[in-house]
Amino acid sequence: MEIVTKNWEKINPLDINTYIRSGGYEALRKVIRETPLKVVSEIKRSGLRGRSGAGFPTGEKWEISAKIVADQKFIICNLDESEPGVYKDRIIAEKNPHQIIEGLLIGAYAIGAKRAFIYINGHYKKPAEILKIALEQAREKEFVGRGIMGSSIDVEIEIFSGAGAYICGEENALINSIEGKRGEPRLKPPHPPVSGLFGKPTIVNNAETLANVPYIIKRGADVYSKIGPSLSPGTKLFLLEGAVKNKGIFEVPLGTTAEDLIFNSLYGGGMEDGKEFWFAQIGGASGRLMPRGKLDQLLIYGPSEYPIGAGSILVVDKMADIKDLLFSWADFFHRESCGKCVPCREGTYRLWEIAKWLKNNDLKERDRENIEDILWTLSNTTFCPLGNFAAVAWSDAISMFSEEIFGK
Amino acid sequence: MSIQKILLEFEPKLENLLRVLKEINKQEKYISESDCLKVAGYFSLPLARVFSLASFFDLMNTRPVKKKIIRVCSGGPCTMKRSFEIIRQIEMLLKIEMGNDSHPKVKLETMSCLGLCDQGPVMMIDEQVFEKVRPETVDDIILDYL
Repeated sequence: MEIVTKNWEKINPLDINTYIRSGGYEALRKVIRETPLKVVSEIKRSGLRGRSGAGFPTGEKWEISAKIVADQKFIICNLDESEPGVYKDRIIAEKNPHQIIEGLLIGAYAIGAKRAFIYINGHYKKPAEILKIALEQAREKEFVGRGIMGSSIDVEIEIFSGAGAYICGEENALINSIEGKRGEPRLKPPHPPVSGLFGKPTIVNNAETLANVPYIIKRGADVYSKIGPSLSPGTKLFLLEGAVKNKGIFEVPLGTTAEDLIFNSLYGGGMEDGKEFWFAQIGGASGRLMPRGKLDQLLIYGPSEYPIGAGSILVVDKMADIKDLLFSWADFFHRESCGKCVPCREGTYRLWEIAKWLKNNDLKERDRENIEDILWTLSNTTFCPLGNFAAVAWSDAISMFSEEIFGK
Repeated sequence: MSIQKILLEFEPKLENLLRVLKEINKQEKYISESDCLKVAGYFSLPLARVFSLASFFDLMNTRPVKKKIIRVCSGGPCTMKRSFEIIRQIEMLLKIEMGNDSHPKVKLETMSCLGLCDQGPVMMIDEQVFEKVRPETVDDIILDYL
């Protein structure tokens, strides 16, 4: 089942004509003949959920902004991905940038935004260059700019390059950084669809989410909603890394099990030679640890014991050093904490300190007691969800592998 | 290029503030307090607002960078591909310690994911990115580039 990765071999990302020949921009042509609200309801009926982690239904989000009357509205494509283990949006931008642009244009039309941004990770120089060329070509063909396809619709798209901050993947922090403020989250509500960039209704959608939109419009919500489970339909790009034989990106319907992804020869193909499965981390550095016995869990958006986040699966084998991984997680979050709230700023730092001592086998009894306090504080008192994320993998590791971590 | 010339390329709109600072950082290698003052004046913003933005992000410096900075990714996928062995190798080769700033010419740090997990382990020396680094070959890279 291919939606996002379809035609990747046939398309030259630097030539818009190859995208058009494979049916590109047909969805946009279809959309501008319909009313914006009809487009919103089509996306809503498709059941598409955001692909960056939270899994909020895209159509519902669009509907909030679409129904508000405002002199200005914005739509932003979130291509800031900086979760360790996740690089799917980079690959989409490199392989088929027009798919993202078309989805963004359809979104802009649906909510009534005249200005759109592609917020791209500051490290992504090559994909930013590809997107820039793609935008120029789309402008020449009159898909972007004033009077799209001869209609009276105007949508301008700008590329906005970030400057290296994990927190800017959070929609309010992202909006703040476009406004020239520190990338810190804002108090919600109001949520961005009501009051976002410069106080105007703003939709922030992940690049993979937008890449699904042209397909839904072309084939219809009914076709899309039948792929995978009804509450969380569609396909998802998963990224296999770690001790698995075939690493890389795999597009599968949601509702596939981790077991299938890791061991099926079509995807992961099992463990690397001589390695034995220990656990898998689902969803990047902020993801939970899935033991062997839970591999049959369905990978879906919505209520689930193991949230899939942005789709990364790190397979860990029994030879791996858990202390290195604990340090890896703590190191990442202490570096990326934005510093706005004390529990996260202090908590991630103290956890990192402890991780260092643990790695050097220099842990005191007192530190061991502190770990639980810190993890509780991070899980319960931080300002934004990213602080909670910092405790997820640690909490699982402490409860599952206390012997390996602390000794007998 | 002088700061004035950079400023003239951008309208003083808020969405250009980060772009201006990134451009200054690109040309001057860091953003000084006096640069911030000029930017603040151009955008009619308080100095604190501009400096707080300049000091927030990884990709901008508010002080001159006088050392070579070696960064090794400590993300999960790179960790599984032995990035900590690479760090130990560099520590032994240069007789430095990760995170410690005592060497006069080089500093070794960990860094956050660059989204190149399929090409890992990833290392950077200043702006230059190195992919698929191995503990066995890292010595050659370091000695070549320092």
